[in-house]
Amino acid sequence: MRLITHNMLQCHVKACPPGQSYPLQIRNAELEALDAEFNADFVRRLIPKLDWKVLRSTAFELGVAQLPEECPAEPTEDDLQMIHKVALQTRVKEAEMVCSGCGHVYPIKDGVPNMLLQDHEI
Amino acid sequence: MFRYLIIFAHFHMAFRLPELDSLAALEQVNLVYDKDAYSDDHPFFIVQLPSDEDARKLARRSILIKDVIRLYADEPTLERVLETARNTPDLIGPYANSSFRFDCRAFGSTVEHADQVARIEQFAFLPAGDVRLKNPDVIFFYMEDYGTLHTRGHLPPAEPFRCMFGVWVGSGDRQLVNKYDLKKRGYLGTTSMDAELSLVMANQALVRAGSFVLDPFVGTGSFLITCAHYGAFTMGADIDGRQIRGKGGKSIDSNAVQYNLTGRVLDTVVCDIAHHPWREGEIWDAIVCDPPYGVRAGARKLGKGPKSKVPPGPLVPVKPNGEQRYPQTVPYELDDVLVDLIAFAAEKLVPGGRLVYWLPTVTDEYTHADVPLHPRFRLVANSNQVFGTWCRRLITMEKLREGEQAEEVVAIKGEGEAQAPAHAKFREVYFAPGRGSQPSTPPSERA
Ligand SMILES: C[S@@+](CC[C@H](N)C(=O)[O-])C[C@H]1O[C@@H](n2cnc3c(N)ncnc32)[C@H](O)[C@@H]1O
Ligand SMILES: [Zn+2]
Repeated sequence: MRLITHNMLQCHVKACPPGQSYPLQIRNAELEALDAEFNADFVRRLIPKLDWKVLRSTAFELGVAQLPEECPAEPTEDDLQMIHKVALQTRVKEAEMVCSGCGHVYPIKDGVPNMLLQDHEI
Repeated sequence: MFRYLIIFAHFHMAFRLPELDSLAALEQVNLVYDKDAYSDDHPFFIVQLPSDEDARKLARRSILIKDVIRLYADEPTLERVLETARNTPDLIGPYANSSFRFDCRAFGSTVEHADQVARIEQFAFLPAGDVRLKNPDVIFFYMEDYGTLHTRGHLPPAEPFRCMFGVWVGSGDRQLVNKYDLKKRGYLGTTSMDAELSLVMANQALVRAGSFVLDPFVGTGSFLITCAHYGAFTMGADIDGRQIRGKGGKSIDSNAVQYNLTGRVLDTVVCDIAHHPWREGEIWDAIVCDPPYGVRAGARKLGKGPKSKVPPGPLVPVKPNGEQRYPQTVPYELDDVLVDLIAFAAEKLVPGGRLVYWLPTVTDEYTHADVPLHPRFRLVANSNQVFGTWCRRLITMEKLREGEQAEEVVAIKGEGEAQAPAHAKFREVYFAPGRGSQPSTPPSERA
Protein backbone atom coordinates (compact mmCIF):
# COMPACT_ATOMS: atom_id res chain seq x y z
CA MET A 1 0.00 0.00 0.00
CA ARG A 2 1.42 3.31 -1.09
CA LEU A 3 0.73 6.44 0.89
CA ILE A 4 -1.58 7.71 -1.87
CA THR A 5 -3.85 4.77 -1.07
CA HIS A 6 -3.54 5.17 2.68
CA ASN A 7 -4.66 8.75 2.16
CA MET A 8 -7.96 7.52 0.72
CA LEU A 9 -8.84 4.68 3.07
CA GLN A 10 -10.96 5.06 6.16
CA CYS A 11 -12.47 2.83 8.80
CA HIS A 12 -15.97 1.81 7.80
CA VAL A 13 -17.11 -0.17 10.82
CA LYS A 14 -20.74 0.74 11.32
CA ALA A 15 -20.38 1.63 14.99
CA CYS A 16 -17.20 3.67 14.48
CA PRO A 17 -17.64 7.08 16.17
CA PRO A 18 -18.26 9.73 13.51
CA GLY A 19 -15.26 11.93 12.73
CA GLN A 20 -12.78 9.45 14.12
CA SER A 21 -12.62 6.91 11.33
CA TYR A 22 -9.92 8.78 9.42
CA PRO A 23 -6.96 8.62 9.12
CA LEU A 24 -5.98 5.09 10.01
CA GLN A 25 -2.86 4.84 12.16
CA ILE A 26 -0.09 2.71 10.71
CA ARG A 27 1.59 0.44 13.28
CA ASN A 28 4.59 -1.89 13.08
CA ALA A 29 5.27 -0.83 9.55
CA GLU A 30 7.81 -2.40 7.27
CA LEU A 31 8.42 0.06 4.44
CA GLU A 32 9.90 -0.26 1.01
CA ALA A 33 10.78 2.23 -1.69
CA LEU A 34 9.38 1.48 -5.12
CA ASP A 35 9.74 3.09 -8.47
CA ALA A 36 6.74 4.79 -9.96
CA GLU A 37 6.58 6.82 -13.11
CA PHE A 38 6.71 10.55 -12.52
CA ASN A 39 3.96 12.39 -14.33
CA ALA A 40 3.82 16.06 -13.32
CA ASP A 41 0.30 16.48 -14.60
CA PHE A 42 -0.93 13.47 -12.63
CA VAL A 43 0.65 14.78 -9.42
CA ARG A 44 -0.72 18.26 -9.99
CA ARG A 45 -4.22 16.87 -10.34
CA LEU A 46 -3.68 14.59 -7.37
CA ILE A 47 -2.85 17.40 -4.95
CA PRO A 48 -6.40 18.72 -4.43
CA LYS A 49 -7.60 15.14 -3.91
CA LEU A 50 -5.11 14.49 -1.13
CA ASP A 51 -5.70 15.21 2.52
CA TRP A 52 -2.48 17.13 2.93
CA LYS A 53 -2.40 17.09 6.72
CA VAL A 54 -2.76 13.32 6.72
CA LEU A 55 -0.11 12.82 4.07
CA ARG A 56 2.20 15.10 5.99
CA SER A 57 1.70 13.47 9.39
CA THR A 58 1.90 9.95 7.97
CA ALA A 59 5.12 10.72 6.12
CA PHE A 60 6.52 12.21 9.30
CA GLU A 61 5.48 9.37 11.58
CA LEU A 62 6.92 6.80 9.20
CA GLY A 63 10.12 8.80 8.97
CA VAL A 64 9.81 9.13 5.22
CA ALA A 65 9.91 12.87 4.69
CA GLN A 66 9.25 16.22 6.29
CA LEU A 67 6.59 17.81 4.12
CA PRO A 68 5.80 21.53 4.49
CA GLU A 69 2.96 22.54 6.81
CA GLU A 70 0.81 23.73 3.95
CA CYS A 71 0.62 22.18 0.52
CA PRO A 72 2.43 24.53 -1.88
CA ALA A 73 -0.22 26.58 -3.67
CA GLU A 74 1.79 26.78 -6.86
CA PRO A 75 3.95 23.70 -6.72
CA THR A 76 7.33 23.82 -8.41
CA GLU A 77 8.79 20.83 -10.21
CA ASP A 78 10.71 20.04 -7.01
CA ASP A 79 7.51 20.11 -4.96
CA LEU A 80 5.84 17.78 -7.41
CA GLN A 81 8.80 15.40 -7.29
CA MET A 82 8.67 15.42 -3.51
CA ILE A 83 4.95 14.65 -3.40
CA HIS A 84 5.47 11.95 -6.01
CA LYS A 85 8.16 10.36 -3.90
CA VAL A 86 6.08 10.38 -0.72
CA ALA A 87 2.68 9.43 -2.17
CA LEU A 88 3.66 7.04 -4.97
CA GLN A 89 7.09 5.67 -4.20
CA THR A 90 6.70 4.85 -0.53
CA ARG A 91 4.98 1.56 0.10
CA VAL A 92 3.94 -0.04 3.34
CA LYS A 93 4.75 -3.70 2.88
CA GLU A 94 3.68 -5.15 6.20
CA ALA A 95 1.77 -3.31 8.92
CA GLU A 96 -1.40 -2.95 10.86
CA MET A 97 -3.72 -0.05 10.24
CA VAL A 98 -5.59 0.82 13.37
CA CYS A 99 -8.69 2.97 13.65
CA SER A 100 -8.37 5.51 16.43
CA GLY A 101 -12.16 5.65 16.70
CA CYS A 102 -13.13 2.03 17.24
CA GLY A 103 -9.80 0.22 17.40
CA HIS A 104 -10.46 -1.99 14.39
CA VAL A 105 -7.25 -3.41 12.96
CA TYR A 106 -6.83 -3.69 9.20
CA PRO A 107 -3.83 -5.81 8.34
CA ILE A 108 -1.48 -5.11 5.43
CA LYS A 109 0.23 -8.18 4.05
CA ASP A 110 2.70 -8.18 1.23
CA GLY A 111 1.65 -4.64 0.39
CA VAL A 112 -2.07 -5.44 0.14
CA PRO A 113 -4.37 -3.94 2.78
CA ASN A 114 -7.29 -6.09 3.83
CA MET A 115 -10.27 -3.82 4.45
CA LEU A 116 -12.91 -6.53 4.89
CA LEU A 117 -15.10 -6.41 7.96
CA GLN A 118 -16.86 -9.14 9.88
CA ASP A 119 -20.58 -9.25 9.34
CA HIS A 120 -21.40 -7.87 12.80
CA GLU A 121 -19.35 -4.77 11.97
CA ILE A 122 -21.31 -3.66 8.93
CA MET B 1 -13.31 19.09 -44.26
CA PHE B 2 -12.23 16.12 -46.37
CA ARG B 3 -13.72 12.70 -46.92
CA TYR B 4 -11.97 9.74 -45.34
CA LEU B 5 -12.71 6.06 -45.66
CA ILE B 6 -12.40 4.17 -42.41
CA ILE B 7 -11.75 0.46 -42.83
CA PHE B 8 -12.71 -1.30 -39.64
CA ALA B 9 -11.78 -4.78 -38.52
CA HIS B 10 -14.83 -6.83 -39.48
CA PHE B 11 -15.34 -7.98 -35.95
CA HIS B 12 -16.99 -6.71 -32.74
CA MET B 13 -19.28 -4.59 -34.93
CA ALA B 14 -21.26 -3.09 -32.06
CA PHE B 15 -18.09 -1.62 -30.61
CA ARG B 16 -16.79 0.11 -33.72
CA LEU B 17 -18.72 3.38 -33.71
CA PRO B 18 -18.57 3.81 -29.92
CA GLU B 19 -14.80 3.38 -30.05
CA LEU B 20 -14.56 5.85 -32.93
CA ASP B 21 -16.60 8.42 -30.99
CA SER B 22 -14.49 7.90 -27.88
CA LEU B 23 -11.29 8.39 -29.81
CA ALA B 24 -12.63 11.58 -31.38
CA ALA B 25 -13.36 12.88 -27.87
CA LEU B 26 -10.02 11.70 -26.54
CA GLU B 27 -7.96 13.19 -29.38
CA GLN B 28 -10.20 16.26 -29.69
CA VAL B 29 -10.75 15.64 -33.36
CA ASN B 30 -13.67 17.26 -35.15
CA LEU B 31 -15.29 14.11 -36.52
CA VAL B 32 -18.44 14.41 -38.65
CA TYR B 33 -20.44 11.51 -40.05
CA ASP B 34 -23.89 10.39 -41.00
CA LYS B 35 -24.87 7.72 -38.54
CA ASP B 36 -27.40 6.22 -40.93
CA ALA B 37 -24.62 5.51 -43.41
CA TYR B 38 -22.98 3.14 -40.95
CA SER B 39 -23.59 -0.59 -41.39
CA ASP B 40 -22.49 -3.67 -39.48
CA ASP B 41 -22.56 -5.57 -42.79
CA HIS B 42 -19.23 -4.36 -44.09
CA PRO B 43 -16.09 -2.71 -42.72
CA PHE B 44 -16.37 0.58 -44.61
CA PHE B 45 -17.43 3.90 -43.16
CA ILE B 46 -17.04 7.34 -44.67
CA VAL B 47 -16.42 10.27 -42.34
CA GLN B 48 -15.41 13.91 -42.66
CA LEU B 49 -12.30 15.22 -40.96
CA PRO B 50 -10.37 18.49 -41.10
CA SER B 51 -7.02 17.02 -42.11
CA ASP B 52 -4.83 13.95 -42.63
CA GLU B 53 -3.22 14.78 -39.30
CA ASP B 54 -6.61 14.50 -37.57
CA ALA B 55 -7.30 11.25 -39.40
CA ARG B 56 -4.02 9.80 -38.12
CA LYS B 57 -4.78 10.95 -34.58
CA LEU B 58 -8.24 9.43 -34.69
CA ALA B 59 -6.89 6.06 -35.79
CA ARG B 60 -3.62 5.77 -33.93
CA ARG B 61 -5.07 4.24 -30.76
CA SER B 62 -7.92 2.40 -32.36
CA ILE B 63 -8.22 -1.33 -31.82
CA LEU B 64 -11.09 -1.73 -34.27
CA ILE B 65 -9.82 0.44 -37.13
CA LYS B 66 -7.43 -1.16 -39.57
CA ASP B 67 -6.76 1.72 -41.96
CA VAL B 68 -7.85 5.23 -42.81
CA ILE B 69 -7.80 6.32 -46.44
CA ARG B 70 -8.16 9.81 -47.84
CA LEU B 71 -11.02 9.01 -50.17
CA TYR B 72 -11.00 10.25 -53.75
CA ALA B 73 -13.45 7.89 -55.40
CA ASP B 74 -16.36 5.77 -54.19
CA GLU B 75 -18.09 4.31 -57.22
CA PRO B 76 -19.95 1.21 -58.38
CA THR B 77 -17.25 0.19 -60.89
CA LEU B 78 -13.52 0.42 -61.51
CA GLU B 79 -14.16 2.36 -64.74
CA ARG B 80 -15.99 5.07 -62.83
CA VAL B 81 -13.21 5.17 -60.24
CA LEU B 82 -10.62 5.69 -62.97
CA GLU B 83 -12.65 8.48 -64.47
CA THR B 84 -13.05 10.22 -61.14
CA ALA B 85 -9.33 9.83 -60.38
CA ARG B 86 -8.40 11.35 -63.74
CA ASN B 87 -10.44 14.40 -62.85
CA THR B 88 -9.02 14.86 -59.38
CA PRO B 89 -6.35 17.58 -59.42
CA ASP B 90 -5.25 16.57 -55.88
CA LEU B 91 -4.00 13.28 -57.30
CA ILE B 92 -2.27 14.67 -60.34
CA GLY B 93 0.08 17.25 -58.87
CA PRO B 94 1.61 16.38 -55.55
CA TYR B 95 2.96 12.84 -56.03
CA ALA B 96 4.92 13.32 -59.27
CA ASN B 97 8.24 12.81 -57.50
CA SER B 98 7.10 10.61 -54.63
CA SER B 99 8.09 7.01 -54.22
CA PHE B 100 4.94 4.93 -54.05
CA ARG B 101 3.28 1.60 -53.55
CA PHE B 102 -0.13 0.53 -54.79
CA ASP B 103 -2.29 -1.66 -52.56
CA CYS B 104 -5.19 -3.48 -54.14
CA ARG B 105 -7.57 -5.23 -51.77
CA ALA B 106 -10.95 -6.86 -51.71
CA PHE B 107 -13.57 -7.49 -49.06
CA GLY B 108 -15.76 -10.59 -49.37
CA SER B 109 -13.78 -12.23 -52.14
CA THR B 110 -10.21 -12.74 -53.30
CA VAL B 111 -8.72 -11.05 -56.32
CA GLU B 112 -5.93 -13.14 -57.85
CA HIS B 113 -2.52 -11.55 -58.04
CA ALA B 114 -2.60 -11.26 -61.83
CA ASP B 115 -6.00 -9.55 -61.67
CA GLN B 116 -4.70 -7.16 -59.03
CA VAL B 117 -1.81 -6.20 -61.31
CA ALA B 118 -4.21 -5.70 -64.20
CA ARG B 119 -6.27 -3.31 -62.10
CA ILE B 120 -3.27 -1.43 -60.80
CA GLU B 121 -1.91 -0.96 -64.32
CA GLN B 122 -5.00 1.00 -65.24
CA PHE B 123 -3.95 3.64 -62.73
CA ALA B 124 -0.67 4.19 -64.63
CA PHE B 125 -1.85 7.68 -65.63
CA LEU B 126 -1.23 8.87 -62.07
CA PRO B 127 2.01 10.81 -62.03
CA ALA B 128 4.32 9.30 -59.41
CA GLY B 129 7.99 8.53 -58.80
CA ASP B 130 9.58 5.12 -58.24
CA VAL B 131 7.95 2.09 -56.75
CA ARG B 132 9.09 1.36 -53.22
CA LEU B 133 7.41 -1.41 -51.27
CA LYS B 134 8.79 -0.49 -47.86
CA ASN B 135 8.05 2.96 -46.47
CA PRO B 136 7.12 4.71 -49.70
CA ASP B 137 6.19 8.40 -49.66
CA VAL B 138 2.66 7.57 -50.70
CA ILE B 139 0.45 4.48 -50.72
CA PHE B 140 -2.35 4.46 -53.29
CA PHE B 141 -5.16 2.29 -52.10
CA TYR B 142 -7.82 0.59 -54.17
CA MET B 143 -10.53 -1.52 -52.57
CA GLU B 144 -13.38 -3.63 -53.94
CA ASP B 145 -16.39 -4.68 -51.90
CA TYR B 146 -18.01 -8.02 -52.82
CA GLY B 147 -20.35 -8.14 -49.83
CA THR B 148 -20.68 -10.99 -47.38
CA LEU B 149 -22.61 -14.21 -47.11
CA HIS B 150 -25.09 -12.28 -45.11
CA THR B 151 -25.73 -9.52 -47.68
CA ARG B 152 -25.32 -11.35 -50.99
CA GLY B 153 -25.91 -15.09 -50.58
CA HIS B 154 -23.41 -17.85 -50.83
CA LEU B 155 -21.05 -17.08 -53.70
CA PRO B 156 -19.32 -13.77 -54.26
CA PRO B 157 -20.53 -12.02 -57.42
CA ALA B 158 -18.19 -11.76 -60.42
CA GLU B 159 -18.11 -7.99 -60.14
CA PRO B 160 -17.81 -5.96 -56.96
CA PHE B 161 -20.71 -3.88 -55.63
CA ARG B 162 -18.50 -0.99 -54.85
CA CYS B 163 -15.00 0.27 -55.70
CA MET B 164 -13.07 2.79 -53.65
CA PHE B 165 -9.85 4.60 -54.24
CA GLY B 166 -7.71 6.94 -52.21
CA VAL B 167 -4.45 7.60 -50.47
CA TRP B 168 -3.59 5.77 -47.28
CA VAL B 169 -3.11 8.14 -44.33
CA GLY B 170 -2.92 6.03 -41.19
CA SER B 171 -3.58 2.81 -39.33
CA GLY B 172 -5.10 1.67 -36.10
CA ASP B 173 -3.10 -0.11 -33.43
CA ARG B 174 -4.30 -3.67 -33.73
CA GLN B 175 -0.86 -5.09 -33.01
CA LEU B 176 -1.63 -4.44 -29.33
CA VAL B 177 -4.16 -7.28 -29.45
CA ASN B 178 -1.23 -9.58 -30.08
CA LYS B 179 1.07 -7.87 -27.59
CA TYR B 180 -1.42 -8.32 -24.74
CA ASP B 181 -2.73 -11.70 -25.90
CA LEU B 182 -3.79 -13.73 -22.88
CA LYS B 183 -1.96 -16.76 -24.23
CA LYS B 184 1.29 -14.99 -23.55
CA ARG B 185 0.33 -13.56 -20.15
CA GLY B 186 1.99 -15.01 -17.07
CA TYR B 187 -0.83 -14.64 -14.57
CA LEU B 188 -4.30 -15.54 -15.72
CA GLY B 189 -7.56 -16.58 -14.11
CA THR B 190 -10.86 -17.91 -15.31
CA THR B 191 -12.13 -14.33 -15.27
CA SER B 192 -9.36 -12.66 -17.30
CA MET B 193 -10.76 -10.56 -20.14
CA ASP B 194 -9.37 -10.92 -23.65
CA ALA B 195 -6.90 -8.30 -24.76
CA GLU B 196 -8.92 -6.86 -27.62
CA LEU B 197 -11.97 -5.94 -25.54
CA SER B 198 -9.85 -4.86 -22.58
CA LEU B 199 -8.08 -2.41 -24.89
CA VAL B 200 -11.36 -1.17 -26.38
CA MET B 201 -12.58 -0.59 -22.81
CA ALA B 202 -9.57 1.62 -22.09
CA ASN B 203 -10.47 3.65 -25.17
CA GLN B 204 -14.11 3.85 -24.07
CA ALA B 205 -12.90 5.13 -20.71
CA LEU B 206 -10.88 7.91 -22.43
CA VAL B 207 -7.84 6.74 -20.55
CA ARG B 208 -4.70 8.72 -21.35
CA ALA B 209 -1.30 9.52 -19.89
CA GLY B 210 -1.79 10.59 -16.28
CA SER B 211 -5.38 9.33 -15.92
CA PHE B 212 -6.27 7.77 -12.60
CA VAL B 213 -8.25 4.54 -12.98
CA LEU B 214 -9.90 2.08 -10.59
CA ASP B 215 -11.19 -1.42 -11.21
CA PRO B 216 -13.33 -2.25 -8.15
CA PHE B 217 -13.68 -5.91 -9.25
CA VAL B 218 -10.08 -6.30 -10.26
CA GLY B 219 -9.71 -10.10 -10.27
CA THR B 220 -6.54 -10.85 -12.21
CA GLY B 221 -6.22 -7.23 -13.27
CA SER B 222 -6.87 -7.36 -17.02
CA PHE B 223 -8.01 -3.74 -17.15
CA LEU B 224 -5.16 -2.42 -15.02
CA ILE B 225 -2.79 -3.68 -17.69
CA THR B 226 -4.55 -2.17 -20.71
CA CYS B 227 -5.30 1.14 -18.98
CA ALA B 228 -1.70 1.41 -17.75
CA HIS B 229 -0.57 0.71 -21.30
CA TYR B 230 -2.12 4.04 -22.29
CA GLY B 231 -0.33 5.87 -19.50
CA ALA B 232 -2.94 5.67 -16.73
CA PHE B 233 -2.09 5.14 -13.08
CA THR B 234 -4.25 2.25 -11.99
CA MET B 235 -5.63 0.76 -8.79
CA GLY B 236 -7.72 -2.31 -8.15
CA ALA B 237 -9.93 -3.75 -5.45
CA ASP B 238 -11.50 -7.16 -4.99
CA ILE B 239 -13.30 -8.99 -2.22
CA ASP B 240 -11.09 -11.98 -2.93
CA GLY B 241 -7.47 -11.41 -1.94
CA ARG B 242 -6.38 -14.68 -3.52
CA GLN B 243 -7.06 -13.26 -6.98
CA ILE B 244 -4.88 -10.24 -6.27
CA ARG B 245 -2.00 -12.13 -4.73
CA GLY B 246 -2.06 -14.95 -7.25
CA LYS B 247 0.06 -18.02 -6.75
CA GLY B 248 3.58 -19.28 -7.26
CA GLY B 249 5.05 -15.86 -7.95
CA LYS B 250 2.38 -15.12 -10.55
CA SER B 251 0.11 -12.21 -9.71
CA ILE B 252 -1.16 -8.86 -10.92
CA ASP B 253 2.26 -7.50 -9.95
CA SER B 254 4.10 -10.08 -12.03
CA ASN B 255 1.93 -9.20 -15.03
CA ALA B 256 2.87 -5.56 -14.54
CA VAL B 257 6.52 -6.62 -14.55
CA GLN B 258 5.99 -8.71 -17.69
CA TYR B 259 4.64 -5.73 -19.61
CA ASN B 260 6.99 -3.22 -18.06
CA LEU B 261 4.11 -1.32 -16.43
CA THR B 262 5.19 -1.42 -12.78
CA GLY B 263 5.58 2.34 -12.75
CA ARG B 264 1.85 2.79 -13.26
CA VAL B 265 0.10 -0.28 -11.89
CA LEU B 266 -0.20 0.99 -8.34
CA ASP B 267 -2.05 -0.64 -5.47
CA THR B 268 -4.65 -3.31 -5.02
CA VAL B 269 -6.89 -3.45 -1.96
CA VAL B 270 -9.01 -6.27 -0.58
CA CYS B 271 -12.48 -4.83 -0.01
CA ASP B 272 -16.17 -5.29 -0.74
CA ILE B 273 -17.81 -2.68 -2.94
CA ALA B 274 -21.02 -3.06 -0.93
CA HIS B 275 -19.17 -1.98 2.23
CA HIS B 276 -16.22 -0.08 0.91
CA PRO B 277 -13.51 1.82 2.78
CA TRP B 278 -12.88 4.71 0.38
CA ARG B 279 -13.27 8.12 1.97
CA GLU B 280 -15.30 10.87 0.42
CA GLY B 281 -14.02 12.62 -2.67
CA GLU B 282 -13.98 12.66 -6.46
CA ILE B 283 -10.82 10.69 -7.05
CA TRP B 284 -10.75 8.64 -10.24
CA ASP B 285 -10.96 9.69 -13.88
CA ALA B 286 -12.34 6.33 -14.89
CA ILE B 287 -13.80 3.17 -13.37
CA VAL B 288 -13.37 0.19 -15.67
CA CYS B 289 -14.68 -3.21 -14.64
CA ASP B 290 -16.43 -6.51 -15.22
CA PRO B 291 -18.82 -6.95 -12.29
CA PRO B 292 -19.23 -10.41 -10.81
CA TYR B 293 -22.15 -12.50 -11.95
CA GLY B 294 -21.06 -16.06 -12.57
CA VAL B 295 -20.36 -18.98 -10.33
CA ARG B 296 -16.65 -18.76 -10.71
CA ALA B 297 -16.67 -14.97 -10.66
CA GLY B 298 -18.27 -15.35 -7.20
CA ALA B 299 -20.78 -12.56 -6.67
CA ARG B 300 -20.81 -12.25 -2.91
CA LYS B 301 -20.74 -9.44 -0.42
CA LEU B 302 -20.07 -9.24 3.28
CA GLY B 303 -23.06 -10.00 5.45
CA LYS B 304 -24.93 -12.47 7.50
CA GLY B 305 -27.92 -14.29 6.15
CA PRO B 306 -29.49 -17.71 5.90
CA LYS B 307 -27.15 -18.52 3.04
CA SER B 308 -24.01 -17.09 4.55
CA LYS B 309 -21.21 -19.45 5.31
CA VAL B 310 -21.27 -19.21 9.07
CA PRO B 311 -18.37 -20.80 10.82
CA PRO B 312 -19.35 -22.51 14.08
CA GLY B 313 -18.70 -20.92 17.44
CA PRO B 314 -18.83 -17.38 18.75
CA LEU B 315 -18.05 -14.46 16.47
CA VAL B 316 -14.41 -13.62 16.64
CA PRO B 317 -12.98 -11.41 13.96
CA VAL B 318 -9.46 -12.61 14.61
CA LYS B 319 -8.34 -16.19 14.88
CA PRO B 320 -6.42 -17.29 18.01
CA ASN B 321 -3.16 -17.02 16.04
CA GLY B 322 -3.92 -13.39 15.32
CA GLU B 323 -4.82 -13.97 11.66
CA GLN B 324 -7.99 -12.39 10.40
CA ARG B 325 -10.79 -14.81 9.85
CA TYR B 326 -12.31 -14.78 6.40
CA PRO B 327 -15.55 -12.91 6.90
CA GLN B 328 -18.97 -14.28 6.17
CA THR B 329 -20.60 -13.45 2.92
CA VAL B 330 -24.04 -13.60 1.37
CA PRO B 331 -24.96 -13.86 -2.32
CA TYR B 332 -24.92 -10.56 -4.13
CA GLU B 333 -27.63 -10.20 -6.76
CA LEU B 334 -26.58 -8.63 -10.01
CA ASP B 335 -29.12 -5.84 -9.68
CA ASP B 336 -27.67 -4.88 -6.31
CA VAL B 337 -24.15 -5.04 -7.67
CA LEU B 338 -25.12 -2.60 -10.41
CA VAL B 339 -26.90 -0.18 -8.11
CA ASP B 340 -23.89 -0.19 -5.76
CA LEU B 341 -21.41 0.17 -8.60
CA ILE B 342 -23.18 3.11 -10.21
CA ALA B 343 -23.75 4.89 -6.91
CA PHE B 344 -20.08 4.35 -6.09
CA ALA B 345 -19.01 5.74 -9.47
CA ALA B 346 -21.31 8.76 -9.04
CA GLU B 347 -19.46 9.60 -5.84
CA LYS B 348 -15.91 8.74 -6.75
CA LEU B 349 -15.49 9.82 -10.36
CA VAL B 350 -14.37 13.31 -11.25
CA PRO B 351 -16.89 15.29 -13.30
CA GLY B 352 -16.56 14.14 -16.93
CA GLY B 353 -15.09 10.84 -15.71
CA ARG B 354 -16.29 7.60 -17.25
CA LEU B 355 -17.68 4.34 -15.94
CA VAL B 356 -17.16 1.46 -18.37
CA TYR B 357 -18.59 -1.91 -17.35
CA TRP B 358 -20.15 -5.15 -18.61
CA LEU B 359 -23.83 -5.84 -18.17
CA PRO B 360 -25.05 -9.39 -18.82
CA THR B 361 -28.57 -9.71 -20.24
CA VAL B 362 -30.88 -12.41 -21.51
CA THR B 363 -30.98 -11.92 -25.28
CA ASP B 364 -34.69 -12.38 -25.91
CA GLU B 365 -35.82 -10.31 -22.99
CA TYR B 366 -33.59 -7.31 -23.32
CA THR B 367 -35.06 -3.85 -23.72
CA HIS B 368 -33.20 -0.57 -23.58
CA ALA B 369 -34.89 0.14 -20.28
CA ASP B 370 -32.69 -2.54 -18.75
CA VAL B 371 -29.63 -0.35 -18.76
CA PRO B 372 -29.48 1.35 -15.39
CA LEU B 373 -29.49 5.14 -15.59
CA HIS B 374 -28.49 7.64 -12.99
CA PRO B 375 -29.20 11.35 -12.67
CA ARG B 376 -25.51 12.18 -12.48
CA PHE B 377 -24.60 10.26 -15.62
CA ARG B 378 -25.09 10.44 -19.35
CA LEU B 379 -25.27 7.12 -21.19
CA VAL B 380 -22.55 7.28 -23.85
CA ALA B 381 -22.58 3.83 -25.42
CA ASN B 382 -24.18 0.42 -25.16
CA SER B 383 -22.49 -2.27 -27.25
CA ASN B 384 -23.81 -5.78 -27.45
CA GLN B 385 -21.86 -9.01 -27.68
CA VAL B 386 -24.10 -12.01 -28.25
CA PHE B 387 -23.47 -15.47 -26.81
CA GLY B 388 -26.61 -17.25 -27.94
CA THR B 389 -29.38 -17.13 -25.35
CA TRP B 390 -27.64 -14.38 -23.50
CA CYS B 391 -25.32 -11.47 -24.13
CA ARG B 392 -23.15 -9.04 -22.42
CA ARG B 393 -23.27 -5.34 -23.08
CA LEU B 394 -20.41 -2.95 -22.68
CA ILE B 395 -21.93 0.12 -21.06
CA THR B 396 -20.14 3.46 -21.13
CA MET B 397 -21.44 6.25 -18.89
CA GLU B 398 -20.02 9.69 -18.35
CA LYS B 399 -20.44 11.62 -15.13
CA LEU B 400 -22.02 14.96 -15.84
CA ARG B 401 -20.05 18.12 -15.35
CA GLU B 402 -21.54 21.00 -13.45
CA GLY B 403 -24.50 22.47 -15.32
CA GLU B 404 -24.78 19.52 -17.69
CA GLN B 405 -28.13 17.81 -18.01
CA ALA B 406 -28.76 14.13 -18.46
CA GLU B 407 -30.54 13.67 -21.78
CA GLU B 408 -32.48 10.66 -20.65
CA VAL B 409 -34.89 9.62 -17.98
CA VAL B 410 -33.25 10.22 -14.65
CA ALA B 411 -33.75 7.36 -12.28
CA ILE B 412 -31.99 4.28 -11.17
CA LYS B 413 -34.18 1.65 -12.64
CA GLY B 414 -35.61 -1.11 -10.57
CA GLU B 415 -37.99 0.24 -7.99
CA GLY B 416 -41.62 0.43 -8.94
CA GLU B 417 -41.06 -1.23 -12.28
CA ALA B 418 -43.64 -3.71 -13.47
CA GLN B 419 -41.20 -5.56 -15.68
CA ALA B 420 -38.10 -7.07 -14.24
CA PRO B 421 -34.94 -6.09 -16.10
CA ALA B 422 -33.50 -8.66 -18.48
CA HIS B 423 -30.43 -9.12 -16.36
CA ALA B 424 -32.52 -9.94 -13.28
CA LYS B 425 -33.18 -13.41 -14.63
CA PHE B 426 -29.68 -13.81 -15.91
CA ARG B 427 -28.61 -16.43 -13.41
CA GLU B 428 -31.81 -18.38 -13.84
CA VAL B 429 -31.55 -18.56 -17.59
CA TYR B 430 -27.85 -19.04 -17.56
CA PHE B 431 -28.04 -22.01 -15.27
CA ALA B 432 -31.22 -23.46 -16.74
CA PRO B 433 -30.62 -26.98 -18.01
CA GLY B 434 -30.72 -27.98 -21.66
CA ARG B 435 -30.13 -24.67 -23.35
CA GLY B 436 -28.17 -25.87 -26.31
CA SER B 437 -26.78 -22.66 -27.67
CA GLN B 438 -25.36 -21.35 -24.46
CA PRO B 439 -21.64 -21.47 -23.91
CA SER B 440 -20.35 -23.59 -21.08
CA THR B 441 -18.79 -20.69 -19.24
CA PRO B 442 -20.06 -17.20 -18.51
CA PRO B 443 -18.81 -14.51 -20.87
CA SER B 444 -16.26 -12.99 -18.58
CA GLU B 445 -14.70 -16.38 -18.24
CA ARG B 446 -14.14 -16.87 -21.94
CA ALA B 447 -10.96 -15.69 -23.57
C1 LIG C 1 -15.88 -11.05 -13.49
S1 LIG C 1 -14.65 -10.99 -12.28
C2 LIG C 1 -13.59 -9.68 -12.85
C3 LIG C 1 -12.37 -10.22 -13.46
C4 LIG C 1 -11.33 -9.23 -13.84
N1 LIG C 1 -11.84 -8.29 -14.83
C5 LIG C 1 -10.09 -9.93 -14.35
O1 LIG C 1 -9.42 -9.39 -15.21
O2 LIG C 1 -9.78 -11.03 -13.89
C6 LIG C 1 -15.46 -10.32 -10.88
C7 LIG C 1 -14.61 -10.14 -9.66
O3 LIG C 1 -15.39 -9.49 -8.66
C8 LIG C 1 -15.01 -9.97 -7.39
N2 LIG C 1 -16.11 -9.69 -6.45
C9 LIG C 1 -17.20 -10.44 -6.21
N3 LIG C 1 -18.00 -9.84 -5.29
C10 LIG C 1 -17.37 -8.68 -4.95
C11 LIG C 1 -17.69 -7.62 -4.06
N4 LIG C 1 -18.80 -7.66 -3.31
N5 LIG C 1 -16.82 -6.57 -3.96
C12 LIG C 1 -15.67 -6.55 -4.70
N6 LIG C 1 -15.32 -7.53 -5.55
C13 LIG C 1 -16.17 -8.58 -5.69
C14 LIG C 1 -14.70 -11.43 -7.62
O4 LIG C 1 -13.81 -11.90 -6.63
C15 LIG C 1 -14.09 -11.41 -9.03
O5 LIG C 1 -12.69 -11.36 -8.96
ZN1 LIG D 1 -13.28 2.64 13.21
